[in-house]
Order: sequence, then structure tokens, then C-alpha cells
Amino acid sequence: MSTSFTLNVNGQNQNVTVNNPNMPLLWVLRDLLGLTGTKYGCGENLCRACTVLINSVPQSTCNYAVQSAVGKTIVTIEGLSPNSSHPAQLAWLQYQVPQCGYCQSGQLMDVAGQMLAGNHGANIAAQLYNVCICGTYSRILQAVETL
Amino acid sequence: MPGQSFESTRKIENESHKIGRRDFLGAAGLTLGFFFELVPRVAEASLPGIAGSPANTQVNTFLNISSTGVVTLTIGSSEMGQGSFSGLAQILAEDLMVDYNAIVTVQGVPATGAAAVGNSIGTFGSTVIRDNYWTFRTAGAAAREMLVSAAMNIMGDQTRANYTVSSGVITYTPTSTNISYGLVAAAAAKLPVPANPPLIPDNQFQWIGKTVNRVDIPSKVNGSATYGIDVRLSNMVYAVIQHCPTFGGYLSGAVPATPPGMIAVVPTQVVAGVGRGTETTGMVNAVAVVGPNTWDTWQAALGLSINWTIPASSSNLNDQTFINQANAALTSATPYVQSGPNAPPTLYTVEGNLTAANAAIAGAAKTNSATYTFPYVAHNALEPMNCTVNYIPGVSCDVYVPTQVASSVLSIANQLTGLPTSRINVHTTYLGGALGRKIEVDFVSQALQVAIAVNKPVMLLWPREQNFLRDQFRPMALVKASAGLGTNGNILGWSYTNVSASILAQRGAPLGPTGDSQGTEGSTALPYNLGALSTQYITHPSPIPVGFWRSVGMSINTFAVESMIDELAALAGQDPYAYRLGLLTDPRWIAVLEAAATLSNYTAGPAPGHGLGMAITTYANSIVAQVVDVSLVSGNGYDGQPIVFQVNNVWMALDCYLNVNPGQLQAQLVGGMVHGLNAALYGRQSFVKGAAQFPNFYQNRVIRLNQMPQVAVTLIPSPAQSNQSTPIGGAGEIGVPTLAPALANAYFKASGKRIRTLPFFPNALMYNSPGV
Repeated sequence: MSTSFTLNVNGQNQNVTVNNPNMPLLWVLRDLLGLTGTKYGCGENLCRACTVLINSVPQSTCNYAVQSAVGKTIVTIEGLSPNSSHPAQLAWLQYQVPQCGYCQSGQLMDVAGQMLAGNHGANIAAQLYNVCICGTYSRILQAVETL
Repeated sequence: MPGQSFESTRKIENESHKIGRRDFLGAAGLTLGFFFELVPRVAEASLPGIAGSPANTQVNTFLNISSTGVVTLTIGSSEMGQGSFSGLAQILAEDLMVDYNAIVTVQGVPATGAAAVGNSIGTFGSTVIRDNYWTFRTAGAAAREMLVSAAMNIMGDQTRANYTVSSGVITYTPTSTNISYGLVAAAAAKLPVPANPPLIPDNQFQWIGKTVNRVDIPSKVNGSATYGIDVRLSNMVYAVIQHCPTFGGYLSGAVPATPPGMIAVVPTQVVAGVGRGTETTGMVNAVAVVGPNTWDTWQAALGLSINWTIPASSSNLNDQTFINQANAALTSATPYVQSGPNAPPTLYTVEGNLTAANAAIAGAAKTNSATYTFPYVAHNALEPMNCTVNYIPGVSCDVYVPTQVASSVLSIANQLTGLPTSRINVHTTYLGGALGRKIEVDFVSQALQVAIAVNKPVMLLWPREQNFLRDQFRPMALVKASAGLGTNGNILGWSYTNVSASILAQRGAPLGPTGDSQGTEGSTALPYNLGALSTQYITHPSPIPVGFWRSVGMSINTFAVESMIDELAALAGQDPYAYRLGLLTDPRWIAVLEAAATLSNYTAGPAPGHGLGMAITTYANSIVAQVVDVSLVSGNGYDGQPIVFQVNNVWMALDCYLNVNPGQLQAQLVGGMVHGLNAALYGRQSFVKGAAQFPNFYQNRVIRLNQMPQVAVTLIPSPAQSNQSTPIGGAGEIGVPTLAPALANAYFKASGKRIRTLPFFPNALMYNSPGV
């Protein structure tokens, strides 16, 4: 019983066909569209490794049904900027934030969303609750405080 | 641009596989292969760099300088966030005299052929920098001198003093003629490898000792870094594992029918060499559902009805039973006998003499006895276990996997496919965390079994829940420590017994008279003056699978030792810092302790309502001390659990002899500290009748940004001139073990309450909000 949707991902319309319209957007992005920068960590909206922007708002995608994304704009880490030029990416580079790096797509998309909402520095940090097992939090704070 | 990418890795590997390593070595340009990791130091000292047949030398790391001057460093070890690619390139750049930023780093493959010293490329034990530093420096110097020799032949002047090198360009100074490395690389390849090439003096270092940017970070801020879970192959299918929920349980009846829309249900068995504890060779302890994508397949796996057979013995696998067994073992364990069965619980004498220690304690003016208990703790690498296999029967097998042990992956693929290792390609991807769990190849063996069954390229995934529930856990442990003090607080007698399941014994390694080195590390060779001492180790009989968890036994013993020292300071009525200094004579330990105290302004005392606690330990030739500042707070957290304190600051001092990349050392220390903090506050797995109870981060809480303490790190400076006889320290794990005792000691100062059971908050939960 497959269903087809048109998704707007990183500025392009993409057609996807799923067996279950409740397939989380995370797996549509990763397995059907090949956008693997968005990561699976917990599947229960706890770690936020899977954050993307939906209509400019950060959204964890591991429990967000693909059908809910229809008609909205989706931006993933691959579409955040050309050449890693988003201010958050530049700050991440400057402060050498990542270790294993697995959570950092989600961190960056949450930060980018906070910036779109008009937040800066400590206000972004106060809203940021992505899990980083490597413990890069102090460098994340340093980087965010410049934004 | 420097950097490792999976695509370039694959291209190089395919190329070398196709044309053969021997031909590859014969291509235009200079290639030096050299042994890498786990090389006995004796052999290492005799190796400047070995050119020649890789079939004989088990080359798996090599340096190539192409005829266009591109310097490529192929690295056998795994990059899991610890910066090994960058650190090794940085070391090489120094004596090769090239720009670090111009070195291309490529993930290497495990050596093929018969096993020999040097062919293992495991990444564990904080070894990558410390075990390879002099090898890489010498290899860089050897290559440089060969290139200069080739330039000398061109210029017709054999006076070495007439040549200088800078950034990969040789200058013949009499005529100011510049000769690039690329120009002479092919000629250099025909020259002999110098035996003792001169190394750059430390005071002329251009790269070592400087904080340089990591080569892997650019790909980790734009989503392009390829982890194991990101591997995509043509016509790939997806498999999701579903283990028996109970350790020791297995499938004895029919394999469930393939659900609609799925491709297969494959029973997977425990293969020889990978089973631990309850998981014995041949038992089918899991099934994998194979389907068209991760999500549908996962849902099908969750929906399977599987009739697992549960042995009666599993009903004894409970938290309280484990504690009871440990307590009983303290008095009932049978002493080790040579060539005896030594079934757990067996008592091993690690150091000293129990009778003398007990006598000294009995005669002491003041005594203290304490029992410290530790739960099983799961690894929590954020990238779940996964492995992708493309198996073409009788032809080839490609394994794509985030692994710490590519050589073990090669072995297990050889074991299960029967293909010669020359037809097996192991592609080590980036690791989204590892923490010791990706030393195991159980998930690799399952992926191979599925690939063999379905005859399609397949990625096997362990959903998050399977990672927490079917881990090979940090062992639960019970430590009993007793000590007696003289009138001035000096320690007259020290008795220490650790009861824990043996990691090595579960891997089939017979334990010698001093027990399991992984279980006793951190409790032996302590530099404190402990008087008459006894250190014992008792194997716990629990068959719950245990494994290597970042810092391994150090994280258990350092908590017990450094808590006990703190208790003795209190018993003696002395400040814990002054008390430690009074027990120490080792100048390195004293210097590190003093550095941490200075950094934290310890002697000024804590702020009102705060407590300062410290701990110190050594691992991998490094010494670290931490000072923790906590303040008492009240109220309930988001999860309804009482909040007792908050961790405000952690100050750390490290002596690792040589600080190759200070910024990266800081990152590793802070990262290790956070790992220790997560475990100290929340880390535990619980068992009911053999079934692990806590499947996700909800019950396996970790700190978020708002709980991150302020951190500061001071590094003991490198010596003015290093020498090869002093071991270099590792930094990958040393940040972990001192956090828990320093925290408990700080909390004691703040509250008067002594925490002897970890974690601090066994009932805390994590919600999908900032929490508290």
C-alpha cells in the first residue's frame, strides 16, 4: 500500500514513495533520498542528532512522520550552506568543536534554527539540548557565544 | 585540502587491491611502509622505516610522495574523534619537513597474509600517538634524507650541509636551486633507507607542540563525513537485528516466517571467538530481518513473534544476586592454583601480603573500612552498531564498518566466508563514537551471516535499544578497602579487594596468579606510601557479557582508591590535598597534583556552600589530577528526582611527557571527563532474570549542555629535549577515571555525606527537553 509524497528538501522538490506514511522523515532522508548527514541516534526524540529545519524551525525527525512534512520546506545539514559558510559552521571550524562528530549535524541545525528565530549567544545556548557523548559542550558554548 | 574522505579511501583501496601492493610500491614516487601499533618496543626501536615487499613486512601504514609532490599518509588506526589522523600527520610533518596542512590522510586497510607482529591495527588503550611517535618521526626523517640524497645526485654535490629543506622543497644553497620533493621522489625510491636519520631537535619544532586544526573536522560540520551507518551501496538492502531479550536465551525452534514486504528473516548464531559469558558458540541468540529500508525493516523486526528458549539459569541473573555473590565471594573465593580450573569466584593475590596488611591494620590507632559498589554500565556511542557487507560468493567480500579493530574484522570475515584474506577488503569508516564497544566484532559476524544468507549487499543495524540491552558492559564490581593509620595519619596497612567479572577470562584468556590485568589496573603499583599492603582480585561468577569501556578497570579502581584516600584524610583530620602530598614521593605525581591545585586555587578554599574534591591517577604513562567544585542545591529536577548538587567546575592537570597537540589533548581530557561524569551521575544497566532493563537514553541519561561544568586544563610542559627512553603518555582515556572520585570527594566536603555506590542518581531519567 505505497504512498507517494512530494517533499521540498534543500530547495528542491523530491518525490518519495513509502509503504507507511508514518515512516519518520529521518529514514526518508537517509534511506530514500541518500541524505545521510542527518543522523540516527536514539529514535525517541531524546538526543536530537536528527534535527533538521522544517519551515525554518528545528525539528527532530526520528519521530516525525514524513506525511507531516508535505508542503513544508525542509533544510538538512547538506543544505545549510554552500561550502560550510553558515556562521555556525564557521564558528564550529574556528573552535574545532567536533570530536567523533556524529551529533554535530544536529547541533548545527538546532543552532541555525535558533539563529533564524533571532536568538544570539547565550540565548541560543539556553535552548540547545542536543546530546554529545564526546563531551564537546564547552567548545560548543565557545562557538555559540560568537553567534 | 587535507582530509580523509570515505570516497578517496575506497578509491585508493580498490586501486591497490586491483594492481597489487607490490606494483603500487613500484609506481613513480617514493613509498615507505612501516609497522604500526602494537609493535613491541624492542622491534620498534630497530625500525626506521621499511621499504620492500609488503607481503613480508605486513605493511599497513605507509607514506607516499608522488612525482607531483603530493604527500599521502595512509593510516591503519581508526578515527573515532580522538584525532589520531591529525596527530600522526602532525608528527610526520615535523621530520619530513612538509606542511602539515598539505598532507593527505587516507584510511588504511588491515594487512593481509599470515599474522605477524605489526599487522594488528587495533585502536584502543590510548596507544595511537604514544606507540607510534618515534616510528613516525623516524620514518619522516628517513624519507627526507632519501629525497635529499636523490637531490644530491642530481646536483652532483654530496655535501649534505649544502642542502636545506623547507615545506617539501630542497634548496641547494650554493646556487639557490630549489628541488621539490616530487621531482626526486621516484629517484629517492631506489635509494637505501638510512638507518639513523637525524631527527629535528625539539627546539626547532615547527609542528609538534602546536595546536593545529584537525583534518577530519571540515567534513564533520557539513554532513559529508561518512560513518559506517552512512555507507550506501548499489542494490543494498537493510537488516535489523532482534536479539533474545534474555542473556542466555536462544532460538531452538522454527525461524519466524518472513513478514510481508520483507526479504528474509535470518537466524544469526554466536560464532567462535565473539561470544562472551552467556553467549556460547553456536547458539542462535538473534534473528535479523532483511528488508528494503531501515524503518520498515525495523518495524517488521519489532513485530516478529519469536519463541525464545530461556534456560533456567537466566533467572539468577539479577542485580541483587550479583551483589550477594560478590559479598559471598569476599569470604568464600578459593585461592588461585597453578593449572587449576580456577572457576569464579577465585581469589588472586595481586600485590603484597594479606596477613601482614591485616596485622598492620589491627595494630593501628585508627582504622577505616569501606565497600564501594559499581553497577554494570553500557557503552553509549551515539552511532549505533552497524556493518555493511558486500559478499560475492567465491569471489570477494567487502566489509564497511566503524571498527576499532579492522584486523579482527578481516579475521572474522575470513572465518565465515572461507575466502582468503587477499579477497577480503575491510573499509574502516569514521566511527561515531566507540568507547571500547567497537573493539568487538559480534555485530560484524552477524552482518556477514546475513550477507551470506541473502546474497545481496546488506547493512546490518542494531537499533538504539539493542545497543543498550545487548552490550558487553563495564563489569559490575564490589571493592572492599580497609586501612589503618598511625598517630600522624600515616598509613600503616592497606587491604584492597576488587570483586568483578573478568573481561579477559570471558575472552578465553586464562588468568595467571595476579588475575585480570584489566580488572586490577588502577589498584596496583600505587605511588602512595601505603605501609603493609595487600591487593587482591576475585573473579565474579556473573556470566553477563562484559567488555572494554573507555578506561576499563581504571574507572572502577580509581573511584575506590581515591575515595578511600579521601576517607583516610578525613579520618586523620587532614586536608585531602595536603594528605596526598604527605603520602607521595614520586615527583611527577606531586607536580601534577600541585598543578591541579594551583589551577583550581585549591588552597584558597571553596566558595560558601561549595565543596572541592580531588583525585589523581596514572594510565598509559600519563598522570592526571582533577579538582571538582560542587555546590549543594535543592529542589526537584524535571524528572521529579531530587537535585542534590551541581557540578560547577572541573580543573585538570596532565603530564603525558610530550604535548603533541595541546588543543587536542584538552579536547580528549575534557571529553574523557564528561564520559566519567555521565557514568558517575547516571550510568547503570539493571538486570531482571537475565534481561537488561534500560533500552534507551530515557533511562541511560547523559548530561546536556546546561549541565556542563566550566573546565580548565593545564598541561605539564614537554621537556626541552625529549628522549626515546622516556615513554610518551596517552590521553584517550585518562580523563575518565578521576572524575567520579573527585566528584564524590567534593560532595563529601560540601555535604558531609560519603557516596560509595555508583551512580549518584540511579533513578534519574532524561526527557526531550533541556531538563535540569
